[in-house]
Amino acid sequence: MSPLLARRTASALRYLLLSFAAFLSVFPFFWMVIGATNTTADINKGKVSLGSALWDNVNGFFTAVDVPLILWNSTKIAIFGTALTMLVSSLAGYGFEMFRSKLRERIYTVVLLTLMVPFAAIMIPLFMLMASSGLINTHIAIILPTIASAFIIFYFRQASKAFPRELHDAAKIDGLKEWQIFLFIYVPVMRSTYAAAFVIVFMMNWNNYLWPLIVLQSNETKTITLAIASLSSAYYPDYGTVMIGTILATLPTLFVFFAMQRQFVQGMLGSVK
Amino acid sequence: MEALSLRGIRKSYGSLEVIKGVDLAIEPGEFTVFVGPSGCGKSTLLRMIAGLEDISAGELTIGGARMNDVDPSRRGIAMVFQSYALYPHLTVRQNMGFALRFAGVARAEIERQVMEAARILELEPLLDRKPGQLSGGQRQRVAIGRAIVRHPKVFLFDEPLSNLDAELRVHMRFEIAKLHKKLGTTMIYVTHDQVEAMTLADKIVVMRAGIVEQAGTPRALYADPDNQFVAGFIGSPRMNFLPGEIVAGGGDSMMLGLEGVDAPLPLPELRTALAVGRRLVVGLRPEAFRADGDSVMTLAVEMVEYLGGETLVHGRATAAGDIVTAKAGGNEAWVGREQVRLGFHARDLLLFDGEGQRIR
Ligand SMILES: Nc1ncnc2c1ncn2[C@@H]1O[C@H](COP(=O)(O)OP(=O)(O)OP(=O)(O)O)[C@@H](O)[C@H]1O
Ligand SMILES: [Mg+2]
Repeated sequence: MSPLLARRTASALRYLLLSFAAFLSVFPFFWMVIGATNTTADINKGKVSLGSALWDNVNGFFTAVDVPLILWNSTKIAIFGTALTMLVSSLAGYGFEMFRSKLRERIYTVVLLTLMVPFAAIMIPLFMLMASSGLINTHIAIILPTIASAFIIFYFRQASKAFPRELHDAAKIDGLKEWQIFLFIYVPVMRSTYAAAFVIVFMMNWNNYLWPLIVLQSNETKTITLAIASLSSAYYPDYGTVMIGTILATLPTLFVFFAMQRQFVQGMLGSVK
Repeated sequence: MEALSLRGIRKSYGSLEVIKGVDLAIEPGEFTVFVGPSGCGKSTLLRMIAGLEDISAGELTIGGARMNDVDPSRRGIAMVFQSYALYPHLTVRQNMGFALRFAGVARAEIERQVMEAARILELEPLLDRKPGQLSGGQRQRVAIGRAIVRHPKVFLFDEPLSNLDAELRVHMRFEIAKLHKKLGTTMIYVTHDQVEAMTLADKIVVMRAGIVEQAGTPRALYADPDNQFVAGFIGSPRMNFLPGEIVAGGGDSMMLGLEGVDAPLPLPELRTALAVGRRLVVGLRPEAFRADGDSVMTLAVEMVEYLGGETLVHGRATAAGDIVTAKAGGNEAWVGREQVRLGFHARDLLLFDGEGQRIR
C-alpha cells in the first residue's frame, strides 16, 4: 500500500468512527423530536418519520402535568442550587489552593474520597437526616446536599493553580480583606472557569433525578424530571407526551450550553493565560 | 531616625529556617538593594517587610513604629512585583486607583492622584487600556504607577525588571533611578543582577543562605569586601581566587608566594600578623591586571574572548590550577597567544583565610 493510500484509509476510518459517535449522540435527540410528533402506537411500531400528532401530544402533556409549576420548581432548584454550589465550592477550591495549613492535604484527600462513594450508599442516611430535620418534600432538601460538591471543589482547586499568588499579595497590600480579594479579584479573573462550572452545575441540578424522586413526594414540589418519569412509568405510558416533556426538559440545558459555549471551552482550558 | 530597621529578623517554615537573624538599618531616602544567589531569602525578607509573610522572630520598624503585626496596607509600603501583578480585569486607570478606592478616597482625588502618577510615568495615553493590551515595559510602568499613587514611605521592588528583555531592562533601570531621584523616597530593591545593584544602590546588602554577608556602598563592597563570598559575588567577570602562601618575613614585611608568579611578592602592611608557611586564598580582580604592574603573572592561555572594547584572557597559572581571567584592553594582539605575562600591583591583592574571611 502506498503511503498516500495508507494515509487516506486511516483518515477515512477516523471519519467513519467519528460519524458513528456523532450518530450515537445525536440519534436520541432526533428520536425525541420525531417521537413528539407521533402517536404512541406509531412510536411503538418504530416509526422514524414526522407524524401529525404533535398538537395532541402537547395537549396531552399540558393536561397531565401542571407545566408552569414544575418548570418553576425545576428552575428554582437549578438557579439557587447552582448559585450556592458555585459560591461554596469555588470558595473551598480557592481556599485549598491559596492557604497553607498542616491538615490541608489530608482534608482535601477526604473531600476527594467522597467522590468515590456512590450516591446510593448515602441515600438512606441522607434521607433520615432530612427527615429528622423536617425537610422532606422541600426544595431545600434537594439543594442542600449538592452545595459542597467534591467535583467542583476539585475543579476550582485545579483552576486556581493558574491564579497568580502575586495578585493576591498585591491586593493585600492595596488594603483588601480576604473576602474582598476573593470577590473583587479572584471571581472576575476566573470568570471563564466560573462559566464552565456554571454549565456543568446547572445541568447536574436541572437533570437531578434520583434524590428528588425520594425526597419530593407531593405534586406541588415535583420537578420536570420527576413529572416525565411519572408519565413514563404509567402502566400504558403515552410516549408521545413523554417526548414533549423531554423536549421541554432539554431546552434550558441546550440554551445554557450554547449561550456559554465559548466561555465553557475557555474555562476548560483555564482562565488565566 | 531610620526609615526602616530590622533587628534580629528570623523566618522559619516549619523546622526550616530561611532567614537566620538579619540586622539592618535603612536611612530615609536611601536606595537599598538586596542581592544574593537564588534561594538565599531576598524575596522572603522583602515579603516580611511588606507584611505578606509573618515574622518568626525579631523586630521590624518603619518610620520608627513597630510593624511586625500591622496589616500590609497600613505599613506605608508599596510593592512592585516581578510578574507586575496587575489586575487583568481592570483598566490601567482602575489598577492605579484601586488601593485608594478601597481606602475610601473621594473619586476626584483618586482621579487627580492617578493623573499625577500617569504624568510622571508617561502613561496618560494608556489609561483606558487593560493590562493584556500593554507591552512588558508598559506593564512595569503601570505597576510602578500603582505604587506611586499610594504615596508610600518605602517602595519595595522584587526583581521588577527580570521579565524584560535586555534593552528594556537598561531603559527601565534608568527610569527607576530617575524616579528615585525625583521622589526621594526610601526604596528597597531585590535583584540578582549585579549591574542593577551597582548602578542603583546607595547601599547593597549581600545575602547568602538567610544571613547578611555584608552591607555597604557599592564602592565599599567592590573595593573592600569582608569575605570571599562578597568579593566573588560583586564584580564581573568574577574575582580570581588563587592559592598563596606566606614564604618569608613577619611583621610588616611579609612576602607572599603565589602561583604563576616567579618571585615572592611584598605584601602591603596588614593589621594581622601571618606566620611563615600560612596558606591563604588570594583574590585578584580581572580588571586589576595592568601593563604597568609591579609584579607579573604568567598564564598558559586557554581561551581569549575578544569583545571589541575589551578582551578577556582565560588561562591557568599552573596546570592543575583554576582558570584565571584577565580583562585586557580592546586589543586583538591577545588572540592566538599561548602564553601571556600580565602585570598587576601587589597592593591590589585581597587576602582571605581558609574560612573565606578577609585578612586585613
Ligand atoms: N512557603 C515556603 N515554604 C517553605 N520554604 C519556602 C517557602 N517560601 C520560600 N521558601 C524557601 O525559602 C528560601 C528563600 O526563598 P526566597 O524566595 O526568599 O529566595 P530568593 O532569594 O528570593 O530567591 P530568588 O532569587 O530565586 O528569587 C528558599 O530556600 C525557599 O525554598
Ligand atoms: Mg525571589
